[in-house]
Amino acid sequence: MGSLFRSETMCLAQLFLQSGTAYECLSALGEKGLVQFRDLNQNVSSFQRKFVGEVKRCEELERILAYLVQEINRADIPLPEGETSPPAPPLKQVLEMQEQLQKLEVELREVTKNKEKLRKNLLELIEYTHMLRVTKTFVKRNVEFEPTYEEFPPLENDSLLDYSCMQRLGAKLGFVSGLINQGKVEAFEKMLWRVCKGYTIVTYAELDEPLEDPETGEVIKWYVFLISFWGEQIGHKVKKICDCYHCHVYPYPNTAEERKEIQEGLNTRIQDLYTVLHKTEDYLRQVLCKAAESVYSHVIQVKKMKAIYHMLNMCSFDVTNKCLIAEVWCPEADLHELRRALEEGSRESGATIPSFMNTIPTKETPPTLIRTNKFTEGFQNIVDAYGVGSYREVNPALFTIITFPFLFAVMFGDFGHGFVMFLFALLLVLNENHPRLNQSQEIMRMFFNGRYILLLMGLFSVYTGLIYNDCFSKSVNLFGSGWSVSAMYSSSHTPAEQKKMGLWNDSVVRHNRVLQLDPSIPGVFQGPYPLGIDPIWNLATNRLTFLNSFKMKMSVILGIIHMTFGVILGIFNHLHFRKKFNIYLVSVPELLFMLCIFGYLIFMIVYKWLVYSAETSRVAPSILIEFINMFLFPASETNGLYSGQSGYTLVRKDSEEEVSLLGSQDIEEGNNQIEDGYREMMCEEFNFGEILMTQVIHSIEYCLGCISNTASYLRLWALSLAHAQLSDVLWTMLVRVGLRVDTTYGVLLLLPVIALFAVLTIFILLIMEGLSAFLHAIRLHWVEFQNKFYVGAGTKFVPFSFRLLSSKFSDDVA
Amino acid sequence: MLEGAEFYFNVDHGYLEGLVRGCKASLLTQQDYINLVQCETLEDVKIHLQTTDYGNFLANQTNPLTVSKIDTEMRKKLCREFEYFRNHSLEPLSTFFTYMTCSYMIDNVILLMNGALQKKSVKEILVKCHPLGRFTEMEAVNIAETPSDLFNAVLVETPLAPFFQDCMSENTLDELNIELLRNKLYKSYLEAFYKFCKNHGDVTAEIMCPILEFEADRRAFIITLNSFGTELSKDDRETLYPTCGKLYPEGLRLLAQAEDFDQMRRVADHYGVYKPLFEAVGDGSGGKTLEDVFYEREVQMNVLAFNRQFHYGVFYAYTKLKEQEMRNIVWIAECISQRHRTKINSYIPIL
Repeated sequence: MGSLFRSETMCLAQLFLQSGTAYECLSALGEKGLVQFRDLNQNVSSFQRKFVGEVKRCEELERILAYLVQEINRADIPLPEGETSPPAPPLKQVLEMQEQLQKLEVELREVTKNKEKLRKNLLELIEYTHMLRVTKTFVKRNVEFEPTYEEFPPLENDSLLDYSCMQRLGAKLGFVSGLINQGKVEAFEKMLWRVCKGYTIVTYAELDEPLEDPETGEVIKWYVFLISFWGEQIGHKVKKICDCYHCHVYPYPNTAEERKEIQEGLNTRIQDLYTVLHKTEDYLRQVLCKAAESVYSHVIQVKKMKAIYHMLNMCSFDVTNKCLIAEVWCPEADLHELRRALEEGSRESGATIPSFMNTIPTKETPPTLIRTNKFTEGFQNIVDAYGVGSYREVNPALFTIITFPFLFAVMFGDFGHGFVMFLFALLLVLNENHPRLNQSQEIMRMFFNGRYILLLMGLFSVYTGLIYNDCFSKSVNLFGSGWSVSAMYSSSHTPAEQKKMGLWNDSVVRHNRVLQLDPSIPGVFQGPYPLGIDPIWNLATNRLTFLNSFKMKMSVILGIIHMTFGVILGIFNHLHFRKKFNIYLVSVPELLFMLCIFGYLIFMIVYKWLVYSAETSRVAPSILIEFINMFLFPASETNGLYSGQSGYTLVRKDSEEEVSLLGSQDIEEGNNQIEDGYREMMCEEFNFGEILMTQVIHSIEYCLGCISNTASYLRLWALSLAHAQLSDVLWTMLVRVGLRVDTTYGVLLLLPVIALFAVLTIFILLIMEGLSAFLHAIRLHWVEFQNKFYVGAGTKFVPFSFRLLSSKFSDDVA
Repeated sequence: MLEGAEFYFNVDHGYLEGLVRGCKASLLTQQDYINLVQCETLEDVKIHLQTTDYGNFLANQTNPLTVSKIDTEMRKKLCREFEYFRNHSLEPLSTFFTYMTCSYMIDNVILLMNGALQKKSVKEILVKCHPLGRFTEMEAVNIAETPSDLFNAVLVETPLAPFFQDCMSENTLDELNIELLRNKLYKSYLEAFYKFCKNHGDVTAEIMCPILEFEADRRAFIITLNSFGTELSKDDRETLYPTCGKLYPEGLRLLAQAEDFDQMRRVADHYGVYKPLFEAVGDGSGGKTLEDVFYEREVQMNVLAFNRQFHYGVFYAYTKLKEQEMRNIVWIAECISQRHRTKINSYIPIL
């Protein structure tokens, strides 16, 4: 009982783990997730710890597994993700597993290397054929020139060169041909020009089909080029430049026959390679498929193993070195579970001496554990986002379950919108086991995690919507209005009386644009509407004035009740932490201050509602002015709410002031006394001046805070007003226009109008407005409510649990 | 640049400056160095580096781990960061980045030319090239036989081209000439960079100019020191000194006349900045070398660069600090792998 009201009691336990069984014990603990380990070796750097070798081994295994996963993914083999999570491997199996994995890795690497080699080979051959095909067209052109070139030398043959010399010259005409990356063509050509000073002829053409780049594996466009040059020196340079631009250079056949021969040879080789490559790929696939079956469980197992060794690294050794000592935080309720887990672990490893534990007293603050279920989790998260509660302090999440949706609904009060929201949340709740929802995207996931909050918010909005009598900004007339228009026409009075009472007759109705219903005339107001606001207000021009006054007063009342409740919760805290003096010296003065000023304000509001009726409404005083006068002119002669008010006000005011001043002073002194009492225990230096300052600041802050916080609750009114007005605008701008068009077109027009209305309602009114109301409700809880009692300076209890390890592959790959 | 450029600085470069400051915060701390020094094996170094900002950058390396593997991975990491900065930069910051890469490019070109001279294969040397100074035309460097060849054929379109104006000659490229070429290139590079920063004005000039002045003077000292006992004539020596430092002009003239270390020290004594540095140099046996002292001074200046905002110096300083850190890690790793622990503590601490 009360597990949500306060965090659980924790105790510090010492585990004595026999060194042979430590691993199994921790494995058992990890499966259950019972305890949080404390690091006993904080001063030891990570590589000097005891089990660093084992951690390294785990990392090595992880590396291999990551490689396997990468290869499996590349081969497009589906990775089976097991539902169950296998336990951490027993130590005996670890070696076996490691060996198996290493063997697999070596095999895989070899096969992949072979495959890559084959692929590269194949690619080269393909490139070569392409090159041959494309350069053929270049040569054809060259052939046309060849005769002229051959004819050319004979002209000077006699005078300058003999035939043999010419032959030598012809032999020196060299060709370099190959493929080049598309992006580098321009720079390549420029460089060729600059280096060889134009002694080269470059021809190139784009290859129509893109090929893979063997270095990066990307598929890109290539150019085939053919460079013809004279002279050996330039040839060297050209080759160097080709190297520099990573061209793929292939030998250039000199004659057509040679070319044909090469081409044929290439074709057969390509075909051979294809078959070999297919076989290799098949084999690789087989190996990978086999690996894929077990890789998931291996990944989980290695992760668990690594986690265990990390925890063992936090333990210290005892003197005999036979026993590991771990210090853990454990909830008291789970101590017997912890014992059982230790026994289990010892039994599994077959150790002769069982591991055991004992609790040790401590003065350190334990971590905070509040057990939640799927319903309370969302609310606890809202509170934790502000600050994790201090150990054993009152947990506001319990009250947040009701107050949060309620305050939200006050701002979001619309029957229709609330119902839509409720339906959406209900859909999520009913399908919460659906696997697709569990793995959905970020935004959807946010909604999914808050589904129970949404459900309650929707329900409460339905309720407040009924109270405001708003359904998509229209009122619903369920019970029949309490106002009667016909009574204004009452003919039982004489005309003179009628005039005096402001009754209507034909001329009045005809000549006035605005008619006023007077509740003081008998029969006009037959009594309040049974639930919520009377729908007749929907027709009234002063509807907004009426609702504003109502909502403003309501939000002040709700806010003050909420804050007072917070102060009262503070008393529970003081009671629990045995600080009785704080009740008398902090909480009671705080309560007094709050109730005497703002409680009195509520009293005035309610009093005015009850006492003044329609007949006496003209003499009713303004609460605001009364309230201000109470501070400024304590003894002024105004016509108050009730007789004897001035006397009360004076007394109340004086006593109030004194109490608050005294209170704050007492707080200081009181706290001092206590701190005095604690001094020996806390070993903290007692500093009067510091505490005085904090207390003075605290009291001032509280007094000012009460005023500003009360004002802050007016956001309930403001947002509810904004919501109502926005939905009203949407209605008048869209649906009313649609409904006004005459019948023949109207039906056609209404369809898109309703669709647009639905879309805008969902996006603007539900999501946008809902988000803003949600944020304001959060603020009201965090700031206005929780600062009255909640410290939130705790640390969360993070148990050593395998469930917290992610069971996804994506992390490994990344 | 307009006056009061700090008003507009963040529009263009705010993101990158924030980023580089974040990166700077991830430099290894004194505690990290203390832990690193205690390591027994390179595996320990790897494990410790995993806990720092380096993360598991060595995770995919197969065993056994070597110092050069660590070095290349670290360089790759720096290079990735630098490329990110550079790709996201706008003018004139991107020009600044180009200037920064130029020094690495010069080193790479010289390295390749030396390799070509010793008839080593290009691939072998490419591995040793600094990834920050990599450019496509680089591999064609060995085509050239004279500096003007080099310029006309290879480097004319690279950012290095303007620095070549002073070094065009028809000399063949032998070892001495290459070294001269390097120094001349460096001289004109430093002067150009200095001019760029000076023209940029603002805080950038205030931060970068002293750093570059120091860099120039350091080069002058080192050139002098290295030229003792070589055939380099004093006049030639003087032409190699960058002229943008504090030593210019009198100090450089004196340095050119120096004949041994003591004379050099006497030149430095005239300058308040360099006097303490030379005093810190230990003699012969123990103590720091001149190089270490300069490195320490450089680290100090670079760290101080982070105290000002709205300038480009942080990028330069970050890269230099990261380089120093890498040198330190490599030094420690070398000491560990060679079991030579006595000198392990003489890394340059980054404050």
